[in-house]
Amino acid sequence: MNTINMPSTANQRTRRRAGARGWRTIASLAAVALLTPWASAENTQASRGRDVLGVRVGTVHVGDGRTIENGVVLIEGGNIVGVGGGLAIPRGATVVELAEGSLTPGLIDAFARVESRDAFGQETQGRRRGLAEIIRQIHGEHSTAFACTCTGFAMCPGSHLHASYEDDGVTCPLCAYPKHAPLELLDQASGLVGSGMITELSNEVAAHTSVLDSMNLRSPDLRRLAEGGVTTVFASPDSSAVIGPRGAILRTAGPVQDRVIEPAGAVHAAISSDPYRGSMSNAPPFRGFVTARTRRPNTRMGVTWVFRKAFVDAERHANGLPVGGAETAPYEALDVLWGVRSGEIPLRVHARQKNDIESAIRLTGEFGFGFTLLEATEAFELIDEIRAAGVPVILGPIETDPTGPRRFSPETRRASLATFGALLDAGITTALTAQDLRDENGLARQAMYAVRNGVDPQAALRAVTLTPAEILGVSDRLGSVEVGKQADLVVWSGDPLSPTSRPVVVIVNGRVEVDRR
Amino acid sequence: MHRLGIGRDVFGGVLAGAVVGAVCLASDLAFATAPPPERVAFTGGTVLPVSGPAIRNGTVLVERGRIVAVGTDVEIPYDAFEVDCTGMFVMPGMIDPHSWDGLDVPNESLPVAPFLDVGDALDPSSLFFENALRDGVTSVHVIQANNTVIGGVSRVVHPIGLNVDEMTARADVAIKMSTTPRRGSDRMVQMVQLRDAFFQLDEAIGALAEKKYEEKREKDGRSVDVGPEEARKRGRELLEDKDYDELHLNLVRLRRGDLGAWVYTGSASDVGAAIRFAKDQGFAEQTVLITDGDAHLAAREVAAAGMPVIIGPSLFHRERDPISGELIETFIPKVFHDVGVTFALQPNPGDSFAERFLNYQAALLVRQGIPRDAALASITLNPARMLGMGERLGSLEEGKDANIVVLTGDPFDFASRVEYVYIDGVLAYERASDVRLQELLRLQQPGGGEGGEAARPAGTNNQNNNNARSGDRPAGGSERGAGGRRPGRTGTGTGTGGGR
Repeated sequence: MNTINMPSTANQRTRRRAGARGWRTIASLAAVALLTPWASAENTQASRGRDVLGVRVGTVHVGDGRTIENGVVLIEGGNIVGVGGGLAIPRGATVVELAEGSLTPGLIDAFARVESRDAFGQETQGRRRGLAEIIRQIHGEHSTAFACTCTGFAMCPGSHLHASYEDDGVTCPLCAYPKHAPLELLDQASGLVGSGMITELSNEVAAHTSVLDSMNLRSPDLRRLAEGGVTTVFASPDSSAVIGPRGAILRTAGPVQDRVIEPAGAVHAAISSDPYRGSMSNAPPFRGFVTARTRRPNTRMGVTWVFRKAFVDAERHANGLPVGGAETAPYEALDVLWGVRSGEIPLRVHARQKNDIESAIRLTGEFGFGFTLLEATEAFELIDEIRAAGVPVILGPIETDPTGPRRFSPETRRASLATFGALLDAGITTALTAQDLRDENGLARQAMYAVRNGVDPQAALRAVTLTPAEILGVSDRLGSVEVGKQADLVVWSGDPLSPTSRPVVVIVNGRVEVDRR
Repeated sequence: MHRLGIGRDVFGGVLAGAVVGAVCLASDLAFATAPPPERVAFTGGTVLPVSGPAIRNGTVLVERGRIVAVGTDVEIPYDAFEVDCTGMFVMPGMIDPHSWDGLDVPNESLPVAPFLDVGDALDPSSLFFENALRDGVTSVHVIQANNTVIGGVSRVVHPIGLNVDEMTARADVAIKMSTTPRRGSDRMVQMVQLRDAFFQLDEAIGALAEKKYEEKREKDGRSVDVGPEEARKRGRELLEDKDYDELHLNLVRLRRGDLGAWVYTGSASDVGAAIRFAKDQGFAEQTVLITDGDAHLAAREVAAAGMPVIIGPSLFHRERDPISGELIETFIPKVFHDVGVTFALQPNPGDSFAERFLNYQAALLVRQGIPRDAALASITLNPARMLGMGERLGSLEEGKDANIVVLTGDPFDFASRVEYVYIDGVLAYERASDVRLQELLRLQQPGGGEGGEAARPAGTNNQNNNNARSGDRPAGGSERGAGGRRPGRTGTGTGTGGGR
């Protein structure tokens, strides 16, 4: 029997004992062989230890309000295969352990403005003002006059009069120059450009296009998001067009070829002054310098008309009727909008002011389809209407001093810090977003701001994990730490909503993508 | 060091009255102007003295504007006004070490202007001071901004008071300088202007000294008996402050050590220039560096010179590696902490909502691995010492000014809010009376509407409830596969009572 190791020096007593030992060895080997499969299948779906990644932390925040102390999460093949308190990690597994830390689902930003191209290859510091830095660098400190007249960056239609305003001590009625420091104008411009403003502007209705085609999946901004704990984003276009492109749901880390979760998501529409006010250029058919006379539309009346006409045309076109007249959308866009009307393709509407939110509810009510409300700065005045309309809201960012694309808009002036809590109290599905903000203003800190303003910490966490997953329609795969879901997880150095805590390990699709232990 | 302003020892006097008056104005309540209590006891809270470890269930006893006892078994006089701090944290008032928001214009257009005094431009009604109080800042170092060669003289103020004199805690603190070129200038010109200012000063002192010696000889009825060199030398010993004109007096005081030198160094190369210049001119002992940009790269130089540093406002330095394109993020305070440089933090409202709070900035330090006590000291005791007020401010110790902040929780928890602020033992801020804060947080219903918060269903955050029910889709549903939903579907949540 070759299984038994015979001692080389023959010895009668040893041989006998070896024989006896041999039986015991066989018996124990057999026992181990029979019992092993049962032992490893006890708590998990993991098969082989070495394919498993086990994470052990002080507290696991599931994402739906539950917490698990001494939580262990087992990951295999990109999925969560085990969650529990004090769960055993199979031998041979890679272990990530942080006893004083916590774990949350990867954060999801459902209205992210991702910088699709890294503004001229220059990184911005703190507040995103890449363009202002560039101009200052190229043209020197006193380049403000240049910026005001440079048509590429002309923000204020009356910028050609700014020099005379300075002499007369008058404030520009359109943009308040020179009351703002001159470089503020650049900040306003850069706030728009640097925040990933990408919208196809050849037509006010661009629903046939998709943000993904413009997206740089290797953008450093995605990496910055991942390091901040945000693992999934809905990359949004801006609100330059009345009915804009479709966004895309992306992973912020991992192999580039795996980063797209949904290439053509919801259609982004804007009922606000953004389509006619905030845009850098709204090319008229004949190109050339944009003036108030060539820009279209000019008012909210025009915005509403474009919106209505697009959906009416969609129905006409779908029924084979001819469509025409000014501002007719391309046929492909009309096909997409017909999909919106039938409910196959979701729509989201960016509206901040009270009357704009009411318009959105009214307009979509005319055609009978639902939508998701974005930003909704003045939602606190319309809680009952929003609830009655059954509209989910993606709210944010919470800030007292509007920055980026919100800075130049007068619609953000009447934000209330209590809005988020009020929406939650009314039972409205509300997710939080950071839009273009990062780092100390990023999504994780938005949840922290919410807690400061009276929201329950677990509700705040849900609003950046499970709720956006539900709104995006990916909650079967993402948004909470549950067996069967994709392993998008963030390990924090402490409580996830504490300023003293930071993301330490970020796992996307089962792989450790960020490790800063 | 003389101190402008109404003395604390005139208790129940103008300062206290003004403080109460200012609180009345801020809170819109009708108070009888009764004198504030002489003795105040802060009991039951977690006391963070900064000069020592935290004290659970500690007491801080204040008498006539000064701290007289800190500990667990402090005997509380029968007539002491007791502030119940159970569940709350008691810490020294935070110090904003470097701010020009209380001024109307941050910098004078003249590059060399040491004759200026920020007290002349301070606006007590500025919203900045009200916000400082709301954020738990009890001392603000008002100083000119960084676009200067030599600026004017700064002062430390309480963010409460009806005029500058009432607000001033210490006048004539420091002269602002900068080795970073002014806008539109360059480094060579900047350094020449700096050196020239002191060269002119020496010339002027020499001329004054010579004249003074002549006058003295004349008074004694004699003529000048020595050459100009010697006359100047003898005359220098006779010079008094009143002999100097405005243009030169403050620089003389700087040389003498009566004023600090706060030098802005916006980049690493400016740091060396500042250290060398301070040593050459003899005021290196009183120099505090204000770092910005990549100045932290010169941290070792700063440590070798033994100078303290004001960091910021931004605590993170981000740059893009020019070759790999990788984003490099440096946490500046860690760099200074690791080489042993004493530093203080500034509020940073420009970068984010949270970074405007000094205690949040300090929490960032803890996040990046700096011990809690060092983090707390960087917003209290360190700036107090740099301002020459280490005996009076920055910690809860016997004999120090009773500048105390009570927070609803740990200062490093962002959900904590400032509940009370006491300055010189007098209540200066009370969150319950803060009308403006309530405005910010309240739901506004302009034009009447159908009532404010009373009309809302009083409920907990219902999303948790929603999820607990089986098979219930949250109100509004999702974007994908929604089907032809019609608006009009009501939300599924109802409150179960309890507040937020």
